[in-house]
Amino acid sequence: MATQETQILDDIIVNSRRKMLAFSATALAGLVVGCSDNGTTTLPTASGSYSDADILNFALNLEYLEANFYYLAAFGCTINLPNAAAIAAGAPSAGIPITGSVGAAGTVSGGSKVPFTTVTAASYATETAIEEGKHVLFLQSALGSAAVAQPAINLGASWQTLATAAGIAGGSSFSPYVNDNDFLIGAYVFEDVGVTAYHGAASLLTVSGNLSAAAGIMAVEAYHAGLIRTSLNYIDPTGALGLIGLTTQISALRATLAGQVPQSPASPYDTAPDDFGLGAFSVTLGGATGYTATRLTDADATNVIAFARSTTQVLNIVTGGGAYNATTKAVVSPATGVFFPAGLNAGPYGFR
Amino acid sequence: MDNKLNSFIDKALSRRSFLAGAGSVAAAGLVLGASETKVAAASYGDTDILNFALNLEYLEAQFYLYAATGKGLAASETTAPSGYTGSYTAGTVIPGNAAAVPGLTTAQQQILNEIAYEEGQHVNFLRTALGSAAVPMPTIDLSFFGPLAVAAGIYTSSQPAFNPFASFDAFLIGAFIFEDVGVTAYAGAAPLISAAGVAAGYLNAAAGIMAVEAYHAAYVRTSLTGRAIAAGATTPTSSVYPYCGIANQVAALRATLTVGNSGAPSTGTGNTGAAGSSTSVEVNLAVPTTLTTPSTIVAADSTRALGFARTVNQVLHIVYGSPTVGVASGGFFKTGMNSIFATTTA
Repeated sequence: MATQETQILDDIIVNSRRKMLAFSATALAGLVVGCSDNGTTTLPTASGSYSDADILNFALNLEYLEANFYYLAAFGCTINLPNAAAIAAGAPSAGIPITGSVGAAGTVSGGSKVPFTTVTAASYATETAIEEGKHVLFLQSALGSAAVAQPAINLGASWQTLATAAGIAGGSSFSPYVNDNDFLIGAYVFEDVGVTAYHGAASLLTVSGNLSAAAGIMAVEAYHAGLIRTSLNYIDPTGALGLIGLTTQISALRATLAGQVPQSPASPYDTAPDDFGLGAFSVTLGGATGYTATRLTDADATNVIAFARSTTQVLNIVTGGGAYNATTKAVVSPATGVFFPAGLNAGPYGFR
Repeated sequence: MDNKLNSFIDKALSRRSFLAGAGSVAAAGLVLGASETKVAAASYGDTDILNFALNLEYLEAQFYLYAATGKGLAASETTAPSGYTGSYTAGTVIPGNAAAVPGLTTAQQQILNEIAYEEGQHVNFLRTALGSAAVPMPTIDLSFFGPLAVAAGIYTSSQPAFNPFASFDAFLIGAFIFEDVGVTAYAGAAPLISAAGVAAGYLNAAAGIMAVEAYHAAYVRTSLTGRAIAAGATTPTSSVYPYCGIANQVAALRATLTVGNSGAPSTGTGNTGAAGSSTSVEVNLAVPTTLTTPSTIVAADSTRALGFARTVNQVLHIVYGSPTVGVASGGFFKTGMNSIFATTTA
């Protein structure tokens, strides 16, 4: 157990890292984007008025979204409902709670069980559903009474809106619930974003244990992203099926939405574009040029470090551009749109 | 902030994290409640942590580069940087069977190229970040795959040595040896970085490299699982595709070498398999046979689905291939790491 000495150390560590957040002119400051709760915002904030709980609640909103998507795809139900197939795969027998101290539990619209035909995609969906559900439970447990409720989530028409925005042919009728391949494309929309969200949030956290937990979840999101990208590569190694082209279009849309949000100063881990699809690129190996490589890793091409995004950038992606008004060049809060039709649930200093 | 306070915080953070030990990263939940175990606190800084990571990246880069191209890092990527004043000297690669993996499809070759490039760029990134403080490459022994496979019970010492460069599947086993370890090494190292290092962006870099290692680990685990399913395997040890079982033998050996967290690997993500020892930092590969069986691509704890972490010391035990305390060389690092952490301490 923590002794008095270690608690004092913790306090110093917390306070000193807060100062780093507020005044650092290097990488961190670029990741701090402040949203106030009255719709007006300064970039970046120097107030440091949010807490670890606000950051973890931001993550919890995203995990509600991911978990519901995978539960619907794998089991045909939302996370709060007991479901025999989910329970058999490891879900809690009573379902996952969706209530919290902030906001009324929102409903999930759209989504249905994917009629999987391949053991690979089906087993991956099942594994991922269980793991994302555990992330919801873990964050709720970690936040205790501060945990927010599930926001309203749209997993139906959102897909057509996003697919159209990405310029995907037939996007107005795209659904990730139709078959195995389209499910993988739907999963592709989420997973790399999860990595960048946790990466951006990691250095905002002030308590060391929270940082470790965020790093642990971030690793799992990267495993999921690698799983999805590898699966698509195996199914469509040459791009002949069109899946590789879809990943390129989706990544381009994510990069565009993230790129609309200015960062000052610029983050070295958010170079533009900050997203790559699975298309091949040319690399130098051992000093020799001209090798062709896949892109199973979503990272910058020079240092090969995964991208980090600010909370506003992530919000702008998951709301389909709802977090930033490119015309007036102002952050919009609360951000609403596509997956989060009523916005995220967040406390007074939280990220919406 | 004045330097005195910075220095105090650095020591406090480092010491706290060291004392907290490894294992499941959130073993203490969100309350950082380190026990006051008496451990001799080493004096080290962010440079030492990054150089430890650089040693591991040298190893990974050489393995993948040989597998992809039959050649290793360029000399300029392994020698001491200009202005280096440290005492470590550049080693060589003991290639063993190292060669370009034969018989690859175009897609497989491009994947090897990608991972080789990415690990090589991690070497270059860390060398650039460290500047003149970057240690040169230590001697890398790629012939250690043979003895390692014997230790894992995959081969007997009377058989020809296991050769990860012999085929695509053998390569996947070779890669499996490294990738989950890379994730846990960065996860364990990230919280050791000082407050000043956090401000300098080192934490962000470490977290971002960890994610890339996790992408790679997922590639390896997805490939082994998918190829087993495609081959019609019904268990990890099915004779039609035994490589998931072989990978699980590697995981078991790694678990044994993770001194202090050496519990048996978990066998499932949900309640379809054993949760594993409470101290386990390994998850075995499963071969799903129905549409409702979960796979086990992700290596994470079975309760909270958080990735694992290993201490520097636990990583050393694995790459040296020895559970013994006081060991300063061996395994993939025949003459030891070029690191202040080169000796196993617990």
